[in-house]
This record gives sequence, structure tokens and C-alpha cells, in this order.
Amino acid sequence: MHYLRISDEPIDIADLYQRLVDPQYGGIDMFVGTVRQWTGKIETTKIEYSAYQPMAEKQLEKIAMPIEKQGGRVVVAHRTGQLGLSDIAVFVGVAAPHRAEAFKWCQYIIDTLKREVPIWKKEYDTDKVRWGN
Amino acid sequence: MKIKVKLFAFLQDQLGPVVTVEVTNPIRVTDILKQVSQLAPQLTTTLANSRLAINQEFIDRDEVSLTANDEVAIIPPVSGG
Repeated sequence: MHYLRISDEPIDIADLYQRLVDPQYGGIDMFVGTVRQWTGKIETTKIEYSAYQPMAEKQLEKIAMPIEKQGGRVVVAHRTGQLGLSDIAVFVGVAAPHRAEAFKWCQYIIDTLKREVPIWKKEYDTDKVRWGN
Repeated sequence: MKIKVKLFAFLQDQLGPVVTVEVTNPIRVTDILKQVSQLAPQLTTTLANSRLAINQEFIDRDEVSLTANDEVAIIPPVSGG
């Protein structure tokens, strides 16, 4: 079964990985998104994430369900609150029978999350504060 | 009918977490967004790129009918991940 979480709690990769391990799967693909310092000439010092939590959870559910129906397992965790440089903002993990689906589904989930899940970042850069897009 | 509209991100920074708008059913989604942009003209661009959610579902229709119990939210462009 999938596991989807939006929380202030730090993301524990080892724990999330364990949720993907199962003898029926031969491939696990994981994407870990972290807070980047430089975007061109803009220097970021920290990011604050906020969410419309119940809707964000529903949207994640909608993204995960079709993949689970096709035989994959989905684990997604997204942080809210203040994160420093290199902190983990998002984890997307997919277990699948073979690697091709694992790669494909993992990319699909993170790309769709970035478009369809109501989570926002407020970037504290050295020159000013920016709402991300 | 007055309805409460939840705001997030930049919109919430500027106007707080909830604003009240006056609607007569059926109402165009763009009219709801326009009413909010009249409260703070600096939000016009963000609102033009925002979507409406009713009961935590995105609405892609142009026109909606709302009831007092509906949870209405304006979703500015998302930036998670």
C-alpha cells in the first residue's frame, strides 16, 4: 500500500526506503529533492514550505492510485515548515517489478506533484524574499 | 450569499488566510477572482494565474454554484518539490 505524508517532521530516507522493500519488486527508484543554495546569481538561505494539507493529501492520493493499480508501490513525503540548505524537502519512491516502470513512475510523480499538489515555497534569498514558482 | 474563501501562499501573506466575497449563483470563477483582486490590486497577476478549488478539488469549469457549506479556496501557482 502507498504511504503519503505531508509533515513538519524531517524526512527519514531509511524508514521510507523500508516501506518500498518487498519480494514482489525488483526495482526501487527514489528521488530526493533538497534545498539548493544557488539559482543562477540568486543565493537562497532557507525555504519555508506551506501546504493546503487536506487537499494536498487528496491530490497525492490521485497521483498514486493509478500507479498502485498497475502494480507499483508509491511512497511520497513532503516537508512543511522551515528548511535550511541541503535539507530534504521531498521524497518520492516507487517500487516496481522492473526498473523501467520504477524510473518512469517516479519521474511522473515528482513532475505531477510540482504541477498539481497545493504546496508552496517561500524562498529567503540574500537579496529578498520570493514566493517560488 | 456571502462565502468564505481560503487563501494560501503569497495571497495569504497579503490578505490573511480567509476573505469573504459576495456571490449570486451561478457565478463565474473569474468573477470570484476579480472580487479578491479588488481587495488588493497587487495580487491581480497572481490571481489571474490561480485556480479555484471547491471542497478540496480543482474546478476547471468556468461557472459554479456554491452553497454556504462549500469549502472554497483559491490556489495560486504551486511550488512544492
